[in-house]
Amino acid sequence: MGSPKDSGPSEITRRELLGRVGSGLLILTVSTPWGELTPAEARAKGASFKNLTAEEGALLEELGDVLLPGAGEAGVAHYVDDQLSRRDPLLFLKYMEYPASHLEFYRQGLAALERLSQLRHGGPFARASQEQKVAAIRELSQKNPEGWNGPPAPLLYFVVRNDAVDVYYGGEEGFARLQIPYMPHLPPPAKW
Amino acid sequence: MLAAKLAQAGKKVLVLEAGPERKASDLFSSQLWARRLKWSGPRVESVGKHPINVVFGHGWGTGGSALHHYACWFRLHREDFEMKSRFGLGLDWPISYDDLRPFYDRIQKEVGVSGDAEKEVWRPPGDPYPMPPLQIFEQGRVIARGFEKLGLRTAPLPMAINSVEYHGRAPCAYEGWCDAGCPLLALANPLAVYLSQARDAGAGLAHHAYVTRVLTNQNGDRATAVEFFDARGERRVQEARLVILASSALQNPRLLLNSAGPQHSAGLANSSGLVGKFMMTHAAGNVFGLFKEKTENYRGVSGGQLVSQENYAKDPRQGYLGSSQWLIANALKPNDLLGIANARPDLFGNALHQFLATASQHLATMTFVGENLPSRENQLTLSNRKDRSGFPLAHITHEFSSDDLKCFEAGMQQGKAIMKAAGAYETWSNGPVSMHDLGGTIMGKDAATSVVNSYGQTHEVSNLFVAGPGIFATSGAVNPTFTIHAVTLRATDYVLAHWSSLS
Repeated sequence: MGSPKDSGPSEITRRELLGRVGSGLLILTVSTPWGELTPAEARAKGASFKNLTAEEGALLEELGDVLLPGAGEAGVAHYVDDQLSRRDPLLFLKYMEYPASHLEFYRQGLAALERLSQLRHGGPFARASQEQKVAAIRELSQKNPEGWNGPPAPLLYFVVRNDAVDVYYGGEEGFARLQIPYMPHLPPPAKW
Repeated sequence: MLAAKLAQAGKKVLVLEAGPERKASDLFSSQLWARRLKWSGPRVESVGKHPINVVFGHGWGTGGSALHHYACWFRLHREDFEMKSRFGLGLDWPISYDDLRPFYDRIQKEVGVSGDAEKEVWRPPGDPYPMPPLQIFEQGRVIARGFEKLGLRTAPLPMAINSVEYHGRAPCAYEGWCDAGCPLLALANPLAVYLSQARDAGAGLAHHAYVTRVLTNQNGDRATAVEFFDARGERRVQEARLVILASSALQNPRLLLNSAGPQHSAGLANSSGLVGKFMMTHAAGNVFGLFKEKTENYRGVSGGQLVSQENYAKDPRQGYLGSSQWLIANALKPNDLLGIANARPDLFGNALHQFLATASQHLATMTFVGENLPSRENQLTLSNRKDRSGFPLAHITHEFSSDDLKCFEAGMQQGKAIMKAAGAYETWSNGPVSMHDLGGTIMGKDAATSVVNSYGQTHEVSNLFVAGPGIFATSGAVNPTFTIHAVTLRATDYVLAHWSSLS
């Protein structure tokens, strides 16, 4: 059974961990001219994108909203854009071992989506009907649509879907939405 | 561990770590922050019908992948060491379970492993665990019902996680953040046990030290130094009397191949031609069940609560050769690669919201770990593409064998049957995906058919060792970390006993 207390490596006690609780915990933040804001706040204030163009950001938000309603308002586009500025982005895309830059993945993927929408519906994705958007996304989730010219469509679907889940459900607020306790050992700091 | 033991024996030790320093205070409870701990080094080109997953399972920074491993600590079974001689398939290790048993016993006491050796009926002989098992929660109880109804046994999962205070480290808090690293050090990651011992004994640890080659004398029969690039990108050389490669099953072969020279034109220690060959990875998959009752799947630890190895015994009469096990009741989070949202990757829109709302309360899961028979065709070679320092990247090709896939399919069918028996109203599965990387620098008695001996010593360069799962000759179907420690402890004793001739 357990041995008597003896010297061990330095660790953080639970009391110390909980003592570090402060403001702005357990949320994602985005660097803006107004300081560190949540992605939702950055979006509400109209913070400019740093890497994506305004059109790309708007399209990413549309796509995020189809994949997970509410992800747009939760700031999925500002979250992704801000992470693209980081030396080592913590985006879900990291796990996919994509062979080109993260920024090019999103840029090319969004451009391919927009071209698809023009081809299918004669207009931008944002102005397609909800049924048309859902049908397009369902197709993307399974294969490259005919004429697709971008990163693999199922990969774009999978990655942006996970970005949406990250921003909507990945923090304490998201856990609370699901009525599950966050239970941090060590709460993440406000600033990335 | 090597660094700690050698430094404690008075040797001057330097650990060169390619990534940044990580401290316990960096291990934030967030699946997003957890991504910092995953591989961020030079890209590995992974191809084939069943490509090996690289980033998620590998580490970046102090402690490597062990910093975020789930601490499921199992012993390999006797037959895992004797596959070729017993079954005519696979390879034989140059050692048996009995050779390793004393080292498993020593390590579990040093590090601290919790479990119930009596209930773990499939476990090969060994000392009882020094700590009682971790707690079982509702998810474990729910799934165990299904095993019981089908006449299948389960046991508490043996974990290198404290169930009680042990060697001055706190017990587990069961909050399921293992993937993000354990700042409580209840889980035996390198920060918890050996790195601090290594530092206390005077070992040096340099970060942002990206090793690119092992350098040798003119004859090529002794390692003399390693070349590395520091944080500023400047080339440095560190001389050494003994060199140990511990950069994972993927990077060790790459290092050896990139260390080719006049005396080792095919790569250092590669006259067998086997450096990079016999790459293996476990065939993993999850079975899910939705239940009417709440499963509390957020409680517990990422690795699971229970194990079943009823299908471990290798029996060709099944129509395939291979072992498997179940890791039952993994603690879940809503997001990330293994998160609840990815249990149904086909769902999006409001259907995804609804699924998450239901599954976060009612989902149960267990993980299948299946054997991968060693095949020479599963191999790591050097790419035409190079890293920032000008060295070829690793290129890995991998495909599961038909035995592996039959074993996996049988497992998925059984898993769904277990969930149904447990009362799930809906059940499904995914996979196979790769989990744990092994092989590439396999051990053996014969220099013509292996790269290293049972101590990880390369056959051709006596002061060059390889450590880690890359030296395993077979994969078994258990998480490799306990065996890595046992093999390495045995190697450490050998190195210290033969120090004067090796160095």
